[in-house]
Amino acid sequence: MKRILEAGIKLSLFTLIFSASPLLAQKNKPAKIKAAALQVEMIHSDEIKLPAEFQVALYENLIRQLEKNGFSHVYRDGDRNAASVANLVVLHSTVRSFKAGSERARQVTTVSGATSIAVHCQFTSSDGTLLLEQDVNGKVRFFGGNLKATYDFAKKAAHVANENFSTPSRE
Amino acid sequence: MTARTTTVLVGAASLFAGLVIPVARAQRASGPLKVVQLTGLVGVKDNAKGTLSVENGQLHFVHGKASSDVSASSIQDVVTAADSQRAVGGTIGLMSMAAPYGGGRVLSLFRTKIDTLTVQYRDADGGLHGAIFSMPIGTAEVIKKDLVAQGARTTATGDSTPAATSSTSPSKEQKQ
Repeated sequence: MKRILEAGIKLSLFTLIFSASPLLAQKNKPAKIKAAALQVEMIHSDEIKLPAEFQVALYENLIRQLEKNGFSHVYRDGDRNAASVANLVVLHSTVRSFKAGSERARQVTTVSGATSIAVHCQFTSSDGTLLLEQDVNGKVRFFGGNLKATYDFAKKAAHVANENFSTPSRE
Repeated sequence: MTARTTTVLVGAASLFAGLVIPVARAQRASGPLKVVQLTGLVGVKDNAKGTLSVENGQLHFVHGKASSDVSASSIQDVVTAADSQRAVGGTIGLMSMAAPYGGGRVLSLFRTKIDTLTVQYRDADGGLHGAIFSMPIGTAEVIKKDLVAQGARTTATGDSTPAATSSTSPSKEQKQ
């Protein structure tokens, strides 16, 4: 009887520790940066030769994913309306590496032909102050065309934005 | 001997015709072209099939009953590239992956060459947009020339698709 009681106490202690740790971790998370709106600059690839369709697909997917993640005001590169927005966050993206891969190789061998792209994302204020920077990757390993890597990147980049910025519409 | 020569000649002629006719047909494409809008046009779903034409200074895409226009003068850049896609695609292509003895993988080896056309344009507020189309081989360059003639700008100079000749180019094989 005593053994069962001891085991019960140990079990409840373990449960308490494991359930409490995520709650404590959440408390330690840094506060989100307030952003009234986001402006996405065109993807740059100064050092890497990136095909035009990849550049455009990265840009368009990024805007779409940010809108899907609850950013109600996502301005495009060069949009004049963004100039008057206070608390505007500008996203600059630079391609750091690009491996074209091959859809045919993926489908035939399964293990080779992966397409991958690494993009350095910088979130700045409208006056150029750096707020956050992070490398984000996009990959397609098995199914889908090479351009699917741009969708993968966009989803991850939107997640980064979602984790670190809060907009009035999502508060 | 004569029969053999005739067979060889007919074979060679067929091969030559097979190579020349698709190119000639592609070069003639001046009317609306059957294309797939991969992404980018406002109000049009990804991978929407439709027709693309250049008329009255507009890039005109028609998908079902809806249509979308982009003014040639607002186009900042037009780029063409060569590409390829699975000959057997869609649901059948996906289902074929489950075929026994690697049958689906064999099907993946058969690919059709296509062209891609990428345009970057600005809207009324100055916002930058991009759109990507895939179309039959040899037709993207015709559309590009029409667009440039009607006021579109391009950063890529040259006559043919540069990506098609590059050994390191990813454009040889992409999408779908």
